[in-house]
This record gives sequence, C-alpha cells and structure tokens, in this order.
Amino acid sequence: MNDPDTPIVQLSESLEDYMETIFELVRDNKLARIKDIAKARDVRSASVIPAMRRLSDLGLITYEKREYIDLTPEGERVARRVYARHRLLTRFFRDILGIPHEFAQKDACALEHSLSDVGMDHIVRFFEFIQSCPEGGDVISRLQTCSLVNSDKKQCTGGCAVHREDRVVNQAQMKSLRQMKPGQSCNVVRINGTGAIRQRILDMGLMPGINIYVERLSPAGDPMWIKFQGSQLSLRLKEAEMVLVVSEDT
Amino acid sequence: MNKPNQLEKDILKVALAGSPNCGKTSLFNGLTGSRQHVGNYAGVTVERRSGYYTYQQQRVEVRDLPGSYSLSSFSPEEMIAQQELVDERPDVVVVVVDATALKRSLVLLAQVMQNSQRIVLCLNMSDEAKKSGQRIDLELLTKLLGFPVVETVGHRQLGIDDLKAKIAEVAVQQKVKSRLMLGERLERAIEHVADALEKTTVPEGARQWYAVKILQNDPLFVNRVLERGKPGREAVEVAEKERATIEAFTGEDVGMYVTERYYGFVDGLLREVVVQVSHIDTRILSDRIDAIVVHRVMGIPIFLGVMYAIFWLTFTVGAYPMDWIDRLFGFLSDVIIRYWPADRLKDIQSLIVDGIIGGVGGVLVFLPNIVLLFLGLAILQDSGYMSRAAFLTDRLMHRFGLHGRSFIPLVTGFGCSIPGIMATRTMENERDRLATMLVLPLMSCGARLPIWMLLIPAFFAPYLHAPMLFAIYFIGIFLAFILALILRNTVLKGEEAPFVMELPPYRLPTLRSVVSRMMMSSWLYLKKAGTMILGISIIMWALTTYPRYDMTESKIDTPATAVAQAGTGDAKQHSFRQLEHSVAGRIGKFIEPLIAPMGFDWKIGVATIGAFTAKEVFVSQLGVIYALGDPVGDSGEEETLREALAKDYSPLIGFSLMLFLLIATPCMATIAVTRKESGSWKWPALQFFGLTAIAYIISLAVFQIGTLIGF
Repeated sequence: MNDPDTPIVQLSESLEDYMETIFELVRDNKLARIKDIAKARDVRSASVIPAMRRLSDLGLITYEKREYIDLTPEGERVARRVYARHRLLTRFFRDILGIPHEFAQKDACALEHSLSDVGMDHIVRFFEFIQSCPEGGDVISRLQTCSLVNSDKKQCTGGCAVHREDRVVNQAQMKSLRQMKPGQSCNVVRINGTGAIRQRILDMGLMPGINIYVERLSPAGDPMWIKFQGSQLSLRLKEAEMVLVVSEDT
Repeated sequence: MNKPNQLEKDILKVALAGSPNCGKTSLFNGLTGSRQHVGNYAGVTVERRSGYYTYQQQRVEVRDLPGSYSLSSFSPEEMIAQQELVDERPDVVVVVVDATALKRSLVLLAQVMQNSQRIVLCLNMSDEAKKSGQRIDLELLTKLLGFPVVETVGHRQLGIDDLKAKIAEVAVQQKVKSRLMLGERLERAIEHVADALEKTTVPEGARQWYAVKILQNDPLFVNRVLERGKPGREAVEVAEKERATIEAFTGEDVGMYVTERYYGFVDGLLREVVVQVSHIDTRILSDRIDAIVVHRVMGIPIFLGVMYAIFWLTFTVGAYPMDWIDRLFGFLSDVIIRYWPADRLKDIQSLIVDGIIGGVGGVLVFLPNIVLLFLGLAILQDSGYMSRAAFLTDRLMHRFGLHGRSFIPLVTGFGCSIPGIMATRTMENERDRLATMLVLPLMSCGARLPIWMLLIPAFFAPYLHAPMLFAIYFIGIFLAFILALILRNTVLKGEEAPFVMELPPYRLPTLRSVVSRMMMSSWLYLKKAGTMILGISIIMWALTTYPRYDMTESKIDTPATAVAQAGTGDAKQHSFRQLEHSVAGRIGKFIEPLIAPMGFDWKIGVATIGAFTAKEVFVSQLGVIYALGDPVGDSGEEETLREALAKDYSPLIGFSLMLFLLIATPCMATIAVTRKESGSWKWPALQFFGLTAIAYIISLAVFQIGTLIGF
C-alpha cells in the first residue's frame, strides 16, 4: 500500500491526525478551512494554526495565513497513507472483530500511530486474506453471532462445524466442477471423496478458496483441462465431480 | 541419531526428493554422471536409482527418490519416497522444486521438514523462473528456513557444484530445529502425539512424522505404532482424541486441514521471499501451441501424426541399422563356421552359432528400434507433449480400465512388444502400468508379420488376404482391451488411480537430457534383457539340438564331397530328422494330443515352441520341418511351403493357428523385459500362462465350432 522506495516524512501523532482531517475535508469539500479543521478535531482555531505552519514547512500543505488549506502532492501521499491505515484499522475493528463503530474509530486513532509498519502489514494481510477467502465472510458472521448470542467459547466453536454443514447443504448455487463449461470461472468450496484421488487433488493445490478457470475439454469430452494459480491440470470428469464450486458468472 | 562428524563416515547418504516434472532426474545425472545404478524397488514397478560422486574426498551416495507430490501411502511412488526418508534416514535430504511452480512444489518441502533435519532446498529451473520475472530473496529464504537454498538449472547442469558444496556443508552442521509453522492448533496436536510416542520405540527423528501420520489416520503408520504394544495403543488413542478436537473445531477432516496448513506455511514463505519484478507470461507461447495441439477438431489428427512420426522413426529409420546388425551377426556366424576347425567340437560351434549368436543376435537386432523409440519418447516427454497425448486419449483408454498414457506403449507394441513394454515407464500408476504391460503382446508385432505373410496366402483366397490381415490385428486390439478390463477388475483391482495430472508448459528438450534418457534405456535393455535372453537362447538351442540324431554321426564322418553329392535334399532331410529327434520334437509329439483339439499336429507344435525364441522363428522352423530349407530366401521355395501347408491343413486350422500365434506365449524377450519392468516373476508368468490358456481356449473353440458347422 505504500511505496517503499521513497521515505515517508515522520510525523507526530497530532500532525498525522491533522493530515487525516485535511484529507477528509479536501476530499469532501474540495478545500479545507482552519475553522472546519478545528471543528472536526474539536479544538480551538488558534491551536490549529501552529500545526498548519509546521505542515506547511514540511511541504505537505499549502497555507499562506489565509483561510484555505490544500494538500501538496507529497502531502496527499502522506495523508492517503495515514488515512488508509486509519480506515483499515477502523474497518478491521468494526467489521471483523465486531467492535461498535465509535469504539472502533477511537481505537483506530489510538493504534494507527503506535503500530509498527510490520505489525500494520500483517494486519493488512490478515484483513485481505479473510476478505478474499470465500469462507472468510462466513467465519466473521459466525464469530459475530457467536459473541452476541453466546459467550461460551466451546459451544461457539462446536456450532461452527454444524454451521458449516448447514451452509454447504443450503447453498443452492453450489455445483460440481464437472458442470462447468469451458471458458467459465469458479471458486472451489469443498473437495469431496476419499483416499488417493482426494489426496492427489489436494496435493496439486486444488483446495477451498482457489479460483479455477475451465480451459477446455478433451475432444472426446472427458478429461477436463483447468487453470489455476498459474498452473494447468487435467482431471477426469469423475474427479471433477468431487470438486464443489461456486460459479463466478452467476 | 547423534552421529559424529559426518565427514568421518565412509559414505554420506543423500536423498533427492521432488515432484514429477521438477527436473530431478537431470539433476541426479548432473550429480552422479555415469556412476549410476538403476534397478527396481522389490516387487513394484517403481525404478530405484542411485549413484555416487566424490566431493573433497568425501564419497557421497545419492538416491533419486521416485517423483511424488507429497509423502503419503497412496501411490507406490509416494510410499517409497516416504519410506526412504522415514525408515532409511538419509544424512542429507535435497528437496528439488520447480522454481516456476513454487507453491505446489514446496508442500513436499514442508513435509520433509517434518522428518529430516539436514536439508538443502534446490530451486530448479531457476532460469525459467527468472525469465518470468520472478526474483527470490535467497538470503532471506535461507534465514527463514534455517538451511541452505541453491538455484540450479538441471538440464544445463548449472549450479551442480554449488549444490555439492551445500550438501557437504549441511552434512557437518548442527541439526537445526525445524522452522516449519503449521499454526498453534495443529502444532500442539502434533506435539501431544509425538510426546505420547516417546514411550514407544519409534526413533526420535521420526516421531514428528509418525505423529502427523497417525493424526491423519494413515493405516500404514497406525499399524506400525499399534505393533509397538501398549504405549503404541496409547499414542494412537491420543491421536484419535486430537483428531476429534481438530475436526470439531474446523469442521473438516484432518487430511484437508493438514494440507491446508502446509499451503498456509508455503504461502507465508513465498510472500516474504518472492518478488515479482514483472509479469512476463512465459506461458503465452505454450498456450498458443495448446490451442492448436489439443484443439477440439485438430487435436486427434495432430496426435495421430505424432504417433506416425514416432512409428516411422522407430521402424522405418530403424530398419537400416537393424539390417547392419543383422548382417554383422550373419558375418560373424559365417566367419566362425568357415574358420572353425573341421570336425572338432561341433557341438560348441553349434552352441555359439545357433544358440548364442542366433539368440542374442536376434534380440540385439531390436536395439536400433529401442534407441530410436526412446529418442522419440524422450522428446515427447521432455517437451511436455506426453501429458497432452494422455489428455487426448484418456477417454478411450479409461473405458477399458487403462490410462491415457497407455496409448503410446500399446501402439508401439505393433512394432515390437519390447520397446512397448519399456515405454510403459512413462506411466505413474502401477496397476495401470501392469495392465498395459500384460496385454501389450496382443498387439500384433512386426515379428509376427512374416507369419501372417506365410499363412494367409496359404489358406485364403486372394480377395480375403487384406481382410484377414486386418481381422488379425483387430482381434488383437479387441482382446487387449477386453483383457485389460478383466485384469483391472480382478488381479489388478483396486481404487482407481487419479488421473489428476499436471500439464507443464512446453519446453524445448535439451540434447543432453534426451540423449541421457535414451542411453539409459538402451543400456538397461542390453544389460538386463541381454543376460536373461542369453540364458533362454542356450536352453532353446539345447532343446532343439539334443539328443543328437544318431544317423548324423555317420553322415558327418563321411567326406565332405559325399555330402555335397548327396545334395541339399539330404541335408534338409537331416535337419528334419534332427528336429524330430530333439527334445523339442519329442515335446511336440508329446503334446500332440493336447493340441489336437485345436487342429494342430506335432509339426505345428514344434514350430510353436520355436516361436518362443522369436515369433518369426515359427516360419523358419516350419521350413525345416517341411524339409524345404529357408523359406524366406527364395520366393519359389516359399510358394512350395505354402502349398505344402495348404495340402496338410484346412483353412480352419490355418485360422485357428493364426489366432493361437497371435495370442499365445509372447516371445522370450518380451517375457524377460516384463520380468525386468515389473520387478517380479509373477507378472511374466501370468502373461505367459494366461495368454497361452486364452489362446488355447479360443483356438479350440474356433476349431471345434468351425468343424461342427462344417468349415
């Protein structure tokens, strides 16, 4: 999310907050005024001015003792980064951990400055992973219902398995890979079956969460040729039947 | 497991592990050069390869483990790779991975990390990976894994010295704790089970792996642990409890969970060390080729074209060197006969000329075929076309319990069963491979063509010649498919092998790897088949030579001029008597009642026994029996042989005979190669007796029913 090649100006906590506020105001109103900044940050106008001078000196904003403040290109870059961190943390706290909005905001504000880049990076990864993983949404919703309904951890996890089966049975749009036509894409939900064939399918990296593109069928109509994650595989329709998928086109 | 400084040991044992198609074999060749030993693992078709090299005065034994995607107990390859690592405990394990498909290849590394401490990771095909814009932070990867990583290009022999140096380095290093990370839950479960195993006799170094395996309920390991008495049973109980906990939590079976965790580890690792500097899709060209080569309409014609090219290469181009070898042996026989001291040690002369040169020469004659076929196959395999061919033909083959990869060996069988059987080596699955091997002799081979050429015109009207020839080939194919189906449902019954197959991008085969594959196969053929065939040749020779026909003694004693005056007729008469008198002749007469229901008499019986040496010998044996000399030489004589046959036997017997020769007893070279390739006498025995029994039943039925309905 940030370009590692160019150094980022190190800002104090409050300056980062100001950059964030300016970014939001500029984004929403095309310009930011001292008055608005003071209002948004809940401080007096007078106390905003020194901070603006400092940011101006750093070349992050244009501020000439007048009311209007704008971000320089460099400033916008810094602000975007700070803002993205803030937003991401807020969403992580709110959407994934299920922390109520106002607490999520507050915690994000507190944490965004003190979190190391490495720590942040890992949270980003986790966030991206859980969002891109098709099962992720389920996990989150279950986690949240769980923490609402029941505080007993064991029961909660036990219900998980049941939950999962429910989802599998109910999912009407779930098909087997066999039913996919050449040129279609789909997401793997589950691998059925047992023994060597299942193990081989898993060994080849065909597992839940993977996106598959059906390239073609053999001229005789049987083995299927699929592409995923940069590699190609052929498998018999009988084997494709074990792979349960959700079509991407529907 | 506390070994002293490894360099003090006599031989350092190194194992090469890696998935199929990762270029492990060319790396193995690069390490060991020609100092290799190739054999089979006991009782299975899996090839066992080991070799040696010396690095800084340290002698190193390298074992090339069978290519496998993971260590499990499902396929023989995976099982053997696993046993080699877990039970043999090599000093250093080199994990070879395809740098262009890191994600999939590294799962094996994760598994090896669970059962070995001294590891070198070898990123093979690194040139291709670089071309696609992939950069790997080797230093960081080494740090994260805790053991050395080298980049190699196997088929160009790049990085081999580096690999040798790293192997030597790791061998003397302190063992490092595995840095494999599979997540709290799984690691804890493994830990618990491993702790429980402490009380058993499972060696310390293997405990982790045993723990994972009994957690996954792998029957092989569960049984091994259960055999260790009460502590073993307790360990299995612990594993069962842990398994239940994991499955309750994740809602999926442990097998899936563990594999997912492996991928999790690999993903994390790759995220840290791989930088994709650019996305150059090196598959564009490969995809374009595929769009044509496996095209819905063009795919099959192109495939047939490729098959034809291989066939042409093997049998048309191969005919020239075959002829040279044939002449060379002919020349050799002539020289020996000419310069052999007259009237002395006649038996030894006969043994050398008829037995050894005749028998071994008859087999060596196929060497050019084999070299060329393997040249073709090596190109197909190295280029990546082989898996496309399997993709195209699998539907048809699968219907008969075979595999897409059976097609090429079967078609090769029309030329000669021996290279066909050897070509089954490209098949991964043991049962598929055995089924293909066993039915392969039903493909009417080139050596049987002279038989059809003799018999068909002898018994059938000209307008029936082509249809009969076609019918014979067709019956062979038909029977092969039916038998394969029967085999796969009886002797070779079992869970169907997965077809799930990688389709690697097309690669330009390198001369070095093609030639080395070719040489290896040819050498094996010469060495193994050669020694066995030599033995059988001598036996066959003895059977047709002894006991000597008494009358001959007086004949030989008479002056040469007398023999010359007596004319060739007498000499032929003599051959006939000799054959009749020999063990083979006696066997022929002895089995006459047995073969009579098929319409055969003792003469056919003897010729059929002779056909065991080589199918075409049937023709020359009949020639001898009918005292007509070599029928292949002069067309006039051949005509007479045909007439003689037509006079003695009805067309029905002729047809019954053709069926018998098509189906029964593959030649001795085929038996020898089947023995070699299947790793046991069980399969060639089944092939020999099974096919002969089927031939007997079919010929008998045809003759009896034919006679009944008045043919």
